[in-house]
Amino acid sequence: MTDQSQRMQDLTPDQQRQRGRSYLTWVLLLLAFFAVIAGATLILIIIGMLPTIVAFIIDRSKGKTASICVGSINFIGVFPYILSLWSQFDQLDSAMAMVGDIFTLLVMYSAAAFGWLLFLTLPSIISSFVIVLQQRKVAQLRGEQKDLIEEWGEDVAAIVEMQKLEAQEQHMEHGMEGMHEVDLEPRF
Amino acid sequence: MADALDQAAETAEEQKDMPATEKDGGAVSASENSAEASNSDDLENISPLAEKPEMPETAETQKPSPPPTEPEPKPEVAAPPKAKVKSKNIPMPDRNEDAPPLDAAEHPPVTVNGRYVVYPSMALKELNSPQAMAYAAEDRREPGRQVFALVCKPGLPTRTHLMRELKGQRIGGLLLMIDFGPVFWHAIDQTTIVVIYERPLGGRFVSSFGDSPPRVNEYELGRLIVDPVAQAVSELTSMDFAHRAIRLDNLFFIDKEKTELVLGECVTAPPGYDQPLIYEPIERAYAMPAGRGEGMSYDDMYALGITAIFALLGFNPVAKYADDELLAGKAEYGSYQCMCGNERIPLPLIEPLRGLLSDEEFERWNTEALENWLNGQKKTPIQRRPAPKPKTAFKFGGRDIRTSRAIAHAFSKNVKEAVKIIKNGKLEQWLRSSLGDSDLADSVAGAITIAKVHESSPDGSDDVLVSKVCMRLDPHGPIRYKNFSFQPDGFGAAMAMEYLRTGNFQLPAEILARDLVSYWVACQENRTPDVNVLEKTYQTLRGFARIAEMGYGMERCLYELNTNLPCQSELLRSAYVGHVDDFLTAIDEVADKVDTHDRPMDKHIAAYIATHFKHDITPHLKAISDSREETSLIGILSLYALMQWRAKTPTLFGLSSWLGGLLSPAIGTYHSRTTRRRIETEIPSLVRQGSLPELFDLIDNAERRQIDAADFEEAQIAFAHAETEIDSVIGEGVDQEKLALQSGEKATAIMALVLSMLATTVIIFVQSV
Repeated sequence: MTDQSQRMQDLTPDQQRQRGRSYLTWVLLLLAFFAVIAGATLILIIIGMLPTIVAFIIDRSKGKTASICVGSINFIGVFPYILSLWSQFDQLDSAMAMVGDIFTLLVMYSAAAFGWLLFLTLPSIISSFVIVLQQRKVAQLRGEQKDLIEEWGEDVAAIVEMQKLEAQEQHMEHGMEGMHEVDLEPRF
Repeated sequence: MADALDQAAETAEEQKDMPATEKDGGAVSASENSAEASNSDDLENISPLAEKPEMPETAETQKPSPPPTEPEPKPEVAAPPKAKVKSKNIPMPDRNEDAPPLDAAEHPPVTVNGRYVVYPSMALKELNSPQAMAYAAEDRREPGRQVFALVCKPGLPTRTHLMRELKGQRIGGLLLMIDFGPVFWHAIDQTTIVVIYERPLGGRFVSSFGDSPPRVNEYELGRLIVDPVAQAVSELTSMDFAHRAIRLDNLFFIDKEKTELVLGECVTAPPGYDQPLIYEPIERAYAMPAGRGEGMSYDDMYALGITAIFALLGFNPVAKYADDELLAGKAEYGSYQCMCGNERIPLPLIEPLRGLLSDEEFERWNTEALENWLNGQKKTPIQRRPAPKPKTAFKFGGRDIRTSRAIAHAFSKNVKEAVKIIKNGKLEQWLRSSLGDSDLADSVAGAITIAKVHESSPDGSDDVLVSKVCMRLDPHGPIRYKNFSFQPDGFGAAMAMEYLRTGNFQLPAEILARDLVSYWVACQENRTPDVNVLEKTYQTLRGFARIAEMGYGMERCLYELNTNLPCQSELLRSAYVGHVDDFLTAIDEVADKVDTHDRPMDKHIAAYIATHFKHDITPHLKAISDSREETSLIGILSLYALMQWRAKTPTLFGLSSWLGGLLSPAIGTYHSRTTRRRIETEIPSLVRQGSLPELFDLIDNAERRQIDAADFEEAQIAFAHAETEIDSVIGEGVDQEKLALQSGEKATAIMALVLSMLATTVIIFVQSV
């Protein structure tokens, strides 16, 4: 996921736009295909998972985690009705009846709301644990480095120091280059 | 008392009573004889130093000579004890006979080589040498044997190589040297060389006459003096040595009856060092005492000639002349004319004396010629070739000088004035017009031109110019530079004495840097193989002197030229290291007496080992010279370990402990602290074993170093990885909370997915049931 977004970031805006159009084409084609072979199920899914579609549109999180979370729980609320629909003879009428039933919609949308609730509460709790774990990891790594220094002396950090120095030099050089570029830019 | 002595004494009495013209019927004055022999009327040539108006050069007519008993002080820098003038003005070196005796309680007997017991409280002043005090000694194995000990002055470059050759070898006409060895001498708190000699029972030759002049008549001279001395010189020549200490006061009666004379010692000082100037051939007499050079049998022959004259006359015929005047006289008229020109020399002795005192080495009589003469055979008389006579005298320093040799000597004494005269062209003009030697004038002009070219550099300095001009004027004479004058074969001893006197190598270093020896070689008319070898040697020395690393420099030159000089390191001041094999033992012994925070290495030690240790130690010297302390210490340890291993020296506890205590920086070259701690723990046990090779193996084990280096590299990589990980968590520009929240969101999404999958499965399962 990260690699993909990285690749996306690497593309120019024109390329990104072109690729978005391509995805939309594929989605529309798939929808048309499913509309032909399972139109009733598709209607139920689209209506039942409207909160998920909305979440997907408004989700700005990396990896669309909010959409996944809402969608997963929303699907739990939709899935029993899909099963029920598949057991009916006249699927289209049944689907229309289901989407017209307020109770059915309440179940489906409550599931989505629970999904939202999970997404809004759990990550902060988990992140607290993650921070504690990371701090422990850093402490452990620092301890290992201290042991290495005790055994091998300060020179053991020579590579790291050198890398830092190189990075600093590079930073300084680029900074100077930037300054030159700024200075060289014609001013009107 | 020997018949010879009685006869000599009688002759002396007779001659004292007789007027000069009535002396010994067979004897005629050298001037008369010369006149007869050469049929020449030139009186100037015959008696050069006689008080005559024709002799403007001798200072006799120019300025009053100092009293004979107070010879003019010599300007030489490393002068030996000034010559005392005794027994009718015959010059003799001071033998320290006034030194106070040593107390027996404070100075117990010492032993040489475990065999000869020397008694410091029993001085034998009458047997003193100028550079060695004589003491009673006893041979433990042969208690009745008559021996005595000569205790050398420490630090003086003794002729140890000659001692080795002479040890126990009976040479006719030479006092038997029985043994020698280093001994700690309490009176000077140093170790020095003690030489054991057979005791001459008849005492010193000159002492045998009491207050009378030491005189031998012409009949006894050959048997008593010339024969034994010639025999000794001959045997020494076959050993490729010269005695270089033949003088009247160095003759001893070996027997109680005083019938047989032998030459005394010649090993306690550099060759010719103690010789009064008169005994030296002109070219060596101009050099300072320490720089007179090894010399050859020719030089011994000359000294024999002078000795014979003194013994024959019983006095010094040129005593009233100062050294410079004497040398100028010898240079102008020749040694024989100068010494005997105004004396009555017995007819049979004229030719041998003229032969022995010939100023040309190739003309001088050798031992063979002398033997032939002793056997009654005649030799073609030598035709004296006087120095070229100038039309007018050369005026310098208020004196009129007539030979280029004397000019060179005068110039070396007064560089400031000499430079003026050289540069204003007066010298060149005099050489060309008055002396008629245009080649010499051209060479002097060439030297001036070269000096002008190098005007701004040290090569063009006034001292160098004067030195070079002196070499042109007196090509066989010594190299003279800033009061440092030496024959090239005497540079080593001169340098040693200069170092012992001043504690630095300034002048010898300048001489090498200016390449004056090569210039001297270029001035020689005949490039003999010896001269070529000499030039090569000096080129090597220049190479050494240029390298400012341990084991090189002027110290290396010192030991290369003075192979018998003991190591002059301050650390070994109380010890005597005469051979490289003794070095480790000596430094091991001094380990308890010195500050062990200092290193057991200095420039002298490095140079001494580099000169004498026969294995290649170039890498060790390179390491010792390294600016990093740890590398330098490992270099020292590796060198000493190699020496101990090669010499198979069993244990060196003191040195091991000393080095062990200094090795912290070397141990610090290991990266691993565990390894360092292990080495530090092991050092004491190895020090107790006294084994430097094992200590070195512990400190600089190749396998251990390799492992340490590899492990260190791994540790560096691990450290870098840890740093990268830490950076990814709390590095610069990383929002830890945001990342944690993102992780939480991801985890929540995954949990929701899993929950969804589980729920659908359960729903499917429930529906199907």
